[in-house]
Amino acid sequence: MSTIVPRALEVVEQTPGSMVLSMGPQHPSTHGVLQVMTQIEGETVTKAEPEIGYLHTGIEKSAENLFWTQASTVIERMDYLSPLSNALCYILAVERLLGITDRIPPRARHARVLLAELHRIASHCVWLGTGGIDLGAISGFFYAFDLRERILDLTELSGGARMHPNYLRIGGLRDDLPSGFLDKLDAVIAMYEPRMRELRGLLQKNPILQDRMIDVGILSAEEAIAWGTTGPVLRATGVPYDVRRATPYSGYEEYEFDVITRTEGDAYARFLVRLDEMDEAMRIVRQARKHLETPGPVMIDDTKIAPPPKETIALSMEALIHHFKLVSESFRVPPGDVYQPVESPRGELAYYVVSNGDNRPWRVRTRPPSMYNLQVLKKIAPGELIADMVVMIGSLDPVFGEVDR
Amino acid sequence: MPSSQHPPAGALALDPTALRSDVGDARPIRVGPGEVRATLEGLQADGFALLLDIGGVDYPGREPRFDVVYHLVKLSPAARTLEAVGRPERVRVLCGVTEREPVVPSVADLWPAADWAEREVFDLFGIQFSGHPDLRRIQMPDDWVGHPLRKDYPLRGPAQERSPRPSFALKSNVAAGTPVAGKTAAALQRQIAAARGQAPPEKPA
Repeated sequence: MSTIVPRALEVVEQTPGSMVLSMGPQHPSTHGVLQVMTQIEGETVTKAEPEIGYLHTGIEKSAENLFWTQASTVIERMDYLSPLSNALCYILAVERLLGITDRIPPRARHARVLLAELHRIASHCVWLGTGGIDLGAISGFFYAFDLRERILDLTELSGGARMHPNYLRIGGLRDDLPSGFLDKLDAVIAMYEPRMRELRGLLQKNPILQDRMIDVGILSAEEAIAWGTTGPVLRATGVPYDVRRATPYSGYEEYEFDVITRTEGDAYARFLVRLDEMDEAMRIVRQARKHLETPGPVMIDDTKIAPPPKETIALSMEALIHHFKLVSESFRVPPGDVYQPVESPRGELAYYVVSNGDNRPWRVRTRPPSMYNLQVLKKIAPGELIADMVVMIGSLDPVFGEVDR
Repeated sequence: MPSSQHPPAGALALDPTALRSDVGDARPIRVGPGEVRATLEGLQADGFALLLDIGGVDYPGREPRFDVVYHLVKLSPAARTLEAVGRPERVRVLCGVTEREPVVPSVADLWPAADWAEREVFDLFGIQFSGHPDLRRIQMPDDWVGHPLRKDYPLRGPAQERSPRPSFALKSNVAAGTPVAGKTAAALQRQIAAARGQAPPEKPA
C-alpha cells in the first residue's frame, strides 16, 4: 500500500503576506519535544500545526509483548509526571477483566487514592513552576519544585524509586506502606497550605502573569467537547466532567471533594482550575490518611494472582510452585475487552485493554488526555500573538511521554 | 470468576470482544465500515457529543482482520452542575475492517478530535480514513515503511530478525534431582527452623 505523504512543511504554507516559523522541537517552552509549525502575519498567528511523534517509543507495542504484571512497568513511563495514574488505570482495567475489583483490600484502595492524589499535586507543581518560568516568573519554580521534592520523597519511601516505583500491583500493592510513612506524610500535609499561600501570592496575584494569561486562548464548552478535551481544559469552560465523579473507581465515592470549574475558558481560567484542584487533591489526601490508620492486608488473598509471602516458600511446596509459576509464566486473564478511565492530572486517561486469554495483553490502547488537549492548539492559536503561543502551550499542560508514547 | 490459570481459548486470532463483554464498562455496538458513519452520526445526534478515542486492534487470521474502536460518552456542553453530568452513559462502537480493503469513512468533520486519532490509527495499523483532510503519519517519521502495531510487524523493527515471543516455560539450567548441598542447604535448614520457631541447628564442627 502506498500513500503520498506530504511533509510537515507543506501543511503550513508560506504565502506572500505571511511567513512560516518553526517553533521547536528544541524550544525550551515546549516542555519536551514539540514542534509547532506556525504561519504568522506580522505578529499574529494565522495557522498553527503541532507536529508530534518525536518521543514515540512504542510503549503500546512493548506492552503487548510483556506479561500482564510486567506491562505496568513500561506503562508507568508514559505520563512521567504522574506515573501512578497510568499504573493505576492499567491495573484497574486488568482487575476488571479478572473480575477481582471487589476483592481488593480497602487499605490498598485507600493507599492508591492517596498516592494518585499526591502525584496530582506533584504534577501540577511541575506545570505551575515551569509555566511560571515560561512567562518570566522564575521564583515560583523553586517553591513549587520544593513541594514536589517532598512528594517524590514519599514516593521513594513507599515504592523505592522517585519517578517510576512500580508500587501498584494487580491485586493490590507490592508491600505495605513502611513504618514512619504517615509521619512523613503529615509533614507534607503541614507544609502544603503555607506553601500554596506563597505560591498563590507569587503567581496567581502577579499582575504580569494575569496580563499574559487573561483572555488568551479562549475555548467555549462546545468547542472543548468537540475537540475531545478533558480535565482542567474542559472544566475551565464550565463543564464539571470529572471521571472521579462521573465513573468512580478505586473507592472515590467515599471521598468528599468539589469539582472545580470556571466559565471563562481562557488560559487564566485553566490556571485557576489547576490551582484549586491541588487544594481539593490535598483534601482527599487528608481523608485517605485517616483511612490508612487502620492496618490490614494490602494484597488480594489469591495465590493465583499475588505471589505467596516469602516466609511460606521454604515450608510449603504449593507456595513454591505458585511462586515459580507466577515468575516464570505469569497468570492468564480471561478473554474480553474493557475500557477503564481514570482522572489523571491532565484529564480522562483510559486504557482499552483486550485479552485473548493468554498471559500477555493482546492490545493495550491508551486514551492519552495530553494528545487531545494539545490538538486543540490548532483551534485556539489562530488570531493570537506569536508571543502567546508559549502561554497557550503551557496552559494545556501536555506531557510528551504520553502524547507520543 | 473463571480460573485465571485456564489455557488460552483457541487460536491467537480469536476475537475476545465476541467471547465476553460483560464487564459493564460501556455498551458495545458492532458495525461494518458501511454503517459506521451513520451509527456515529446517530449517536452524536443522541447526545454523545464527546468522542473520547479511536483505537485499532489487529486480529490476524480473523475475518475481518482489524477492529477500529470508537469510545464515546454522553455529555452535553450545556451541563453546568455535577447532577447534570451525572453518571454519563458510555458507548463503544467496534467497526470490523478487512485487510484487502482497509478503508473506513472519516469522522473528522463531525468531531475535530478525530483528526489526530485517525491519523494515529492510519500510521500504526495502515487503515485508511476516506475523507480525512490530512491523512499522514503522526508518530512515525514520514518515510517509514510498515505499520508497527500490526501483529506481523517484528517487535524490534523491520531491519532486525523476526523475534518470536520468547517461551519461558521450558527453561531450567539445573539438572533435575540435584540435591542442595553446602551453604545453600545450611541456610535452608536455618530458615526452616526459624519459621517453625525452633532454635537454629548446630553448625557442624
